[in-house]
Amino acid sequence: MSFPPDQTAKTADIPPQELITIPTPGGGVNALLYKAESVGAEKEPMVIHVHGFLGNFLEGSQRFLPPLLAREGCSSIAINTRLSNFSLFFGYGIVDDTLPQIDGVINYLTDLGYKKIFLSGYSLGGCIAVRYMSERAGTKEADAIGGVMVIATPYSMPDSIRRRWDRWQSSPSYEQVYEEAKEILGDNPAHSEEDRTIIIQRARGDTFRPEHCEIYTYKTWWFLAGPEADASKTYKQIGKIKAPIILIQGWEDKVVLPNETHDLSQRATDAGNADVSAFFLNAGHTLEGKEEELGEVVINWMRRRLK
Amino acid sequence: MKNRILSYEARDGFKVDALLTTPPASGGDLRRIPVIINIHGVLGNFLARGTPKIFPPLMLARGYSTFSINTRMAFLGQIMGTGVFPKAAWDVERSVEILLGEGFKNIYILGYSMGANIAVDYMVSSPRSPVKGLILEGCSYSLPESQKKRLDRWGGIPRYDDIFSKARSVLGNDPESSNNDQIFVVYRAWGDSLNPSDVEMFTYKTWWFMRGPEAARAKTCDIISGVSAPVLFIHGAKDDIVFAEEPERLREILNRSGNGAVDVSFIPEAAHDCMENPDFAADVIDRWIRGVEESGG
Repeated sequence: MSFPPDQTAKTADIPPQELITIPTPGGGVNALLYKAESVGAEKEPMVIHVHGFLGNFLEGSQRFLPPLLAREGCSSIAINTRLSNFSLFFGYGIVDDTLPQIDGVINYLTDLGYKKIFLSGYSLGGCIAVRYMSERAGTKEADAIGGVMVIATPYSMPDSIRRRWDRWQSSPSYEQVYEEAKEILGDNPAHSEEDRTIIIQRARGDTFRPEHCEIYTYKTWWFLAGPEADASKTYKQIGKIKAPIILIQGWEDKVVLPNETHDLSQRATDAGNADVSAFFLNAGHTLEGKEEELGEVVINWMRRRLK
Repeated sequence: MKNRILSYEARDGFKVDALLTTPPASGGDLRRIPVIINIHGVLGNFLARGTPKIFPPLMLARGYSTFSINTRMAFLGQIMGTGVFPKAAWDVERSVEILLGEGFKNIYILGYSMGANIAVDYMVSSPRSPVKGLILEGCSYSLPESQKKRLDRWGGIPRYDDIFSKARSVLGNDPESSNNDQIFVVYRAWGDSLNPSDVEMFTYKTWWFMRGPEAARAKTCDIISGVSAPVLFIHGAKDDIVFAEEPERLREILNRSGNGAVDVSFIPEAAHDCMENPDFAADVIDRWIRGVEESGG
């Protein structure tokens, strides 16, 4: 039997975990709360973690970062948004529908007394975090965020998907899906009652095997991957963020290329944000093998912003 | 109350996540309290709405521990190819071992919907299992037969027989070890529209072992006679997915095989998810477990 260190039943230093459902205007948000020891009169820092593509809080950095941060006195809440799991397949995974959910999570935390809240997103979750801070700029919820961590996040999700499909000669092609989506969804995709589930073969590799497929509905594709999906074009959003930003990326990442992180940093800096950092780890897209190092980077960056 | 998320590996290395919920007791007292393994349904997980999510607090309020597990059929397993039905029994097998390792002595299983079919398959494939009883909620007589009837009813695209033909051509003569597999969509699987809410998705391999005509271990009617432990069927009186006669027919099979410790309870004001009438369903389960414990298990 092999429990990861943080979950071993007999390990004394397990951070207390609590499964909660937070009611929000965008529907209930299931979340895993990792509680660190409070550091004094004020509440400890708190990081909101947003999952990646088809992800949830049981996987990836949402799973391995919270216990590492808790060890250093920082609590975490890893959330399942409307884009978690298979929502893209069934029509209800729309990027902007996650924004009221994040509003609700921030309000929940501020009601609990947390004053030092950070927002972190991995891959697609990074797109969501950046979109949130951009779209909600000037609101009390966005103002409550002390910094944004953007991990392995594409410069533009639509461009990234299109490039990948073109590379592997997907079936159907990006252009075909765009034409079909326009036909099915009509003039007002957001309110269209027509939708279909579609499978894209050879989207992630040169076979028809499941691991090389992607699945969407025309509507979820339109708002995540279509040419008009501005919400997930992170380069268009990041310039509106005034809070400190750290972008973290694996040098060996084949899904999101290192120059995408460089270009996002440049966009944020050019837009006048004076506190933009970029950090590269010798890892791939999942950052596997560099979990501890990622935790140290995040902790050190937060500590400097909390001084 | 205490919640713990655990992760462990099944015999083939598949990682199972599980949520252990226990009442405020400790040591020997806690280990003697019955613990109920909670298995999700199709595309489910331990936080899915309905039974998987609300069963633990309901039973906690009645003094029970629960162990909600995400098998390989959870989340995207059926769609992305990892959810091969007969192997889900290995996830249950390891979960039972984990509970035994933690010192729990009185282990039960509740399977919801497809989770009920997994629970039966586990018990049949583990004849020396220490599990003291099965609670089968909304248990289909046979997963393949159930899907065939549903696709016939709604005019599924493609038709059941066409899926079977295509699956044979994709998977070849040895589906289990075939490296060839593909995802497919069945339109009009759950209703008469082409919209996403009415579709079903599988890979040919996951379909073959869960819904295909040769999915022997998903044909609960053919294997349930191997269950000798006490069984409680709970079934929503308004269930329109699994019909009322299905648990009755399964009970008859069990009785004919010599298992007389079989109860069927219909839950009023509930459809496929019996926890739509939560206290009624939980009280039925509570009384039944007390009965099994008092009879010496």
